[in-house]
Amino acid sequence: MGKLKLAVGVAGALAVGVASLSALAAENIRIGLIEPLSGPIAAIGSEALDNFNHAADRVNARGGVLGGRKLEIIGLDNAMKAEKTTEQLKKAVDMGLSYVIQGVGSNHALNIIKFLDKHNKRNPGKEIVFLNHSAVTTAFTNELCSFWHFRFDANVDMKVAALVTQISRDPGVEKLYLLNQNYAYGKSFQAAANKLLKERATDVELVGDELIVPFGKVLDFTPYIAKIKASGADTVLTGNWGPDLHRFVKGAVDSGLGATFYTVYGGIPSSIGGYGDAGKKVNLKQVTEMHENQDGLPEDLRDYMKSYIEAYESTWYPDRYRWLIEQLAAAIDAAGTADPIPVAGKLEGMTFPGPLGEVKMRADDHQMQMPLVVSTLTSDVPKHLIYKGKDFGIGFKTDGVVERADTTLPTSCQMDRPG
Amino acid sequence: MEVFAFSLFNGILYGMLLFMLASGLTLIFSMMGVLNFAHASFFMLGAYLAYQISAYVGFWPGLVVAPLIVGVIGAAVERWGLRPVHKFGHVAELLFTFGLAFVIEEVVQLIWGKVPMPYDIPASMNFAAFSWQGLDYSAYRLFMLVISVAIFAALFLFIAKTRIGLIIQAALTQPNIVSALGHDVPRIFMWTFGFGCALAGLAGVIGGNVLGTEPAMAITLGPIVFVVIVIGGLGSLWGALVAALFIGIVDNLAISYDLSFYPLFAVFGVERDVTGIMQDLVRLTTASIAPVLPYFLLVLILIVRPRGLFGTRDV
Amino acid sequence: MAGLARRSGIWLAAVAVVLVLPWIFSSGFAITTLNQMGVLIIFSLAYNMLLGQGGMLSFGHAVYFGLAGYSVAHVLNGIGAGTLPYVPVSLLPLVGGLVGLLFGIPIGFVSTRRAGTVFAMISLGFAEMMTALTLILIVFFNGEEGVQTDRWAGPEPFGITYGPDIQVYYLIAAWCLLATLAMYALTHTPFGRMSNAVRDNPERLQFVGYSTHRVRWLAFALSSFFAGMAGALHALNVEHVGFETVGVGQSGLVLFMVWIGGARAFIGPIFGAVVIAFLNSNLSGITEAWLLYLGILFMVTVMFAQGGLSGLILMHESIWKTDVRLFRPMVRPYALGIGATIVACLGAIGLIELIYFMSTRSTRDTGTSLYSVPVDAASLLPWLVCAGVAALGAEACRRAYRPMAASYADAIETVKAGAAR
Repeated sequence: MGKLKLAVGVAGALAVGVASLSALAAENIRIGLIEPLSGPIAAIGSEALDNFNHAADRVNARGGVLGGRKLEIIGLDNAMKAEKTTEQLKKAVDMGLSYVIQGVGSNHALNIIKFLDKHNKRNPGKEIVFLNHSAVTTAFTNELCSFWHFRFDANVDMKVAALVTQISRDPGVEKLYLLNQNYAYGKSFQAAANKLLKERATDVELVGDELIVPFGKVLDFTPYIAKIKASGADTVLTGNWGPDLHRFVKGAVDSGLGATFYTVYGGIPSSIGGYGDAGKKVNLKQVTEMHENQDGLPEDLRDYMKSYIEAYESTWYPDRYRWLIEQLAAAIDAAGTADPIPVAGKLEGMTFPGPLGEVKMRADDHQMQMPLVVSTLTSDVPKHLIYKGKDFGIGFKTDGVVERADTTLPTSCQMDRPG
Repeated sequence: MEVFAFSLFNGILYGMLLFMLASGLTLIFSMMGVLNFAHASFFMLGAYLAYQISAYVGFWPGLVVAPLIVGVIGAAVERWGLRPVHKFGHVAELLFTFGLAFVIEEVVQLIWGKVPMPYDIPASMNFAAFSWQGLDYSAYRLFMLVISVAIFAALFLFIAKTRIGLIIQAALTQPNIVSALGHDVPRIFMWTFGFGCALAGLAGVIGGNVLGTEPAMAITLGPIVFVVIVIGGLGSLWGALVAALFIGIVDNLAISYDLSFYPLFAVFGVERDVTGIMQDLVRLTTASIAPVLPYFLLVLILIVRPRGLFGTRDV
Repeated sequence: MAGLARRSGIWLAAVAVVLVLPWIFSSGFAITTLNQMGVLIIFSLAYNMLLGQGGMLSFGHAVYFGLAGYSVAHVLNGIGAGTLPYVPVSLLPLVGGLVGLLFGIPIGFVSTRRAGTVFAMISLGFAEMMTALTLILIVFFNGEEGVQTDRWAGPEPFGITYGPDIQVYYLIAAWCLLATLAMYALTHTPFGRMSNAVRDNPERLQFVGYSTHRVRWLAFALSSFFAGMAGALHALNVEHVGFETVGVGQSGLVLFMVWIGGARAFIGPIFGAVVIAFLNSNLSGITEAWLLYLGILFMVTVMFAQGGLSGLILMHESIWKTDVRLFRPMVRPYALGIGATIVACLGAIGLIELIYFMSTRSTRDTGTSLYSVPVDAASLLPWLVCAGVAALGAEACRRAYRPMAASYADAIETVKAGAAR
């Protein structure tokens, strides 16, 4: 009986939601953020929402764009379901948005790219541009490239290139083991690693190459760790993330494996708790566009990190989110309009002073070109990772910076431009 | 040969962990005929509680207190949730626990948030007890093994040898006669359910720090636990033990030996470089599908022998 | 004769509603939601052929939904690339249905020998196996990325391209009405009656000499056919089929819909699909706790309303059929009972929202808004008010439910007395 009334309450709440939506200032430039904001991995989506809100707030505090218009981020929950991503895109169309941001889950990013290719062709004048903050499938800026898609993160191949370059500099690496998740991302990591190791780290011997069933299905990593031990590997290169990385690292530390882990997603603050105590014992490296303990970070970025930790009690981690918003704002100002096509035109080839040097949105494939840094997780650093007020007692220390020239890779993109 | 023995040993360790995860589920089913879909959620609750308690007073108090809390919650759920549904039959009970799993998971995420918790194995047992093939085995892993064996022994004695165990089993098939003999059947069911949930909580305390205490843990662990008790035969303690060990050993052997499935297809004249739907099959190796092998085994068992390996009765 | 006229009246009214709806709710998001409702109505009705009519609880019916979706996406891509002969896009739901049937027949054969827990377990096993296969059989499932497709394929008969969503709406609406009519007709055939009998008393049926296995198997196969049809329409609607469509999550969603709507009445799953699809697409934007509310709603119906929401309404059917005036003495107790429930829910929802806000908030700012009233979640006042309202509501419920039930019993008593006379 009771639940009929819940529906009534919900209808009331709905009416309120709709009313507050329409009351928004008309001149704001609204940007949709399609991410999982409910369900077990909502932490990642909510964190992205905080990050982008902060970046937009900074632009707005300076006076916004086009002489006073404000940027506004609108969270759209896809609950990590493909059809809900499509649903939220339709909502974005209804709201008349010209820009959507997404990044968690390459399968969702692919949905958005495909949807926009169709939508923008079928509805001229109502185009939407997709600003991709973290979906790393290399194909999006190669064979699947689209004029409507801009990627502000390094793609898998670039990240692997940075890791392999650092591995070639690391005298401790003699025998290397590859272990990746058996799905699109893990397999492209594996392919890139095999190719780049042959090109850039010829003196490293590849002693194992394994794919595991992804998404937390492997409960016990002991047999894999035993194989790594038996192979004599001193280093593991892995693209794993989430439980597939946490269990692996915990198991390795518990078994005294003693190998070095080169990872992509080893240091995300919201999931750093997953290692527990093992985080302090493992020799784990990550590749990012920056980290807090890097020397010579620009003054404005340090100021920005300070303001973020004051507002959100968390470490500022993904600096690409800041470029994304800053570059969008600059492109809107340069174009003199918020219309997506001229703004997209301005984004092409745009540069930005990044934390490690200049970053540039390559016009050929809409892939940001950037220097990357490989760093080690350790408790011996001035600044520790903090997430929602919790200090984990560990942070990152630079091993080496890989210059933009070394992460720049050729593209096979044949871009179809409008008009 | 050494590799084989080594895999066998790792398989037993992993299998006993699986058995510990499944023990409460098989207990509740054998005693009450209820398949508790929320089992993995109680496991999750136990792990989060243990993390919280250990953060204040250490691992050992948590080892006792967390399962107790989970057990009491379980008993309360039985008393005020499951018992009223009992009269609608097993399907309604199944539906109830299915919904319960959902709600517990959301409530845990509501309280602790949606990020993994740094729940660690206790420092007092975090040292290498022995090494084999270059791998260290911590004292904690031996502790897990001991606890699993103890759970099995205790349950076995409890169900088969004690008076109360016999009464409970009788209550499942002949509730009227048992209550006519002066036993309070609903109360027996309530404490049985609570005890089963406490076992799930205990598994959470002991396994949560190894497997990771994170928001998706119930979703990722739930299915494998069901596989264990269905393959073993619903309600059979021996079955659950054998199935858990079998799965653990198969998993380790499949990964260590990493055999290709191609020879199976070669018999039918399939080329190694075939394209189309077959291309994925001929490239399969046992290691690449080891964690999902139990699901294929499950379907096979259910088709061939729906009551499972050691099942004594159909449901 | 009058009954037939009234029944066809209902169907004509349904057609009219379906035709008018997109004019009232014309935004792209609304059309998408309506399209999903259409797909889910077919899927829910198909599911209820198992659960409500056949007594089989499945945790894996999305397997047929998803496999049909994948197949239709491949067929569309084949048509687009010219590698497959042209099939009118309007008829693809039939292709999907056949795919569902193709898998439903063998899997149904092995899984319907028993109902109850064993059937539920086998369905779960197949669902897990299929989820595992999506990552293994890359050529067909394409891993976690799923299969993309473009429904604008092949010739364009009568200028129908299926590019605009509104055309897909009418396609889904037409198939939805057809499928509903077919499944409704099925419940009135001897097979439909047999299916109910297998659900209610399998032993007796076996004594009389029927094969309960065969009846269940047929129900399973037919249900898979309609689930496949729904999956095909899903593929056309979203133009993408992902690995979550075959998984336990999708099966759980349809179970929630059918059960909350009501498994015992034919209308129940339709009702459930409409309500849950609406909440699913709207509620998530408003509250992060919507999954919790959905779970609680489901558990409450399992505990207190076995007939679901439609059952709560239909239990009054005999009263209004006898004499509408019988409702008059019920108005006051019902108004009190419903009012008390609303108050209790408002308080409880307020508390849950406050807890959610405090546990997920990311800034030090503890200001939020509750029922559009700005509150400070760190202060005691909103908690006290919500707890007070909830307690007040609970106490009011305790007092109001008994008179409510009594007034209902009185009315039913009168109906029975009238019938006896």
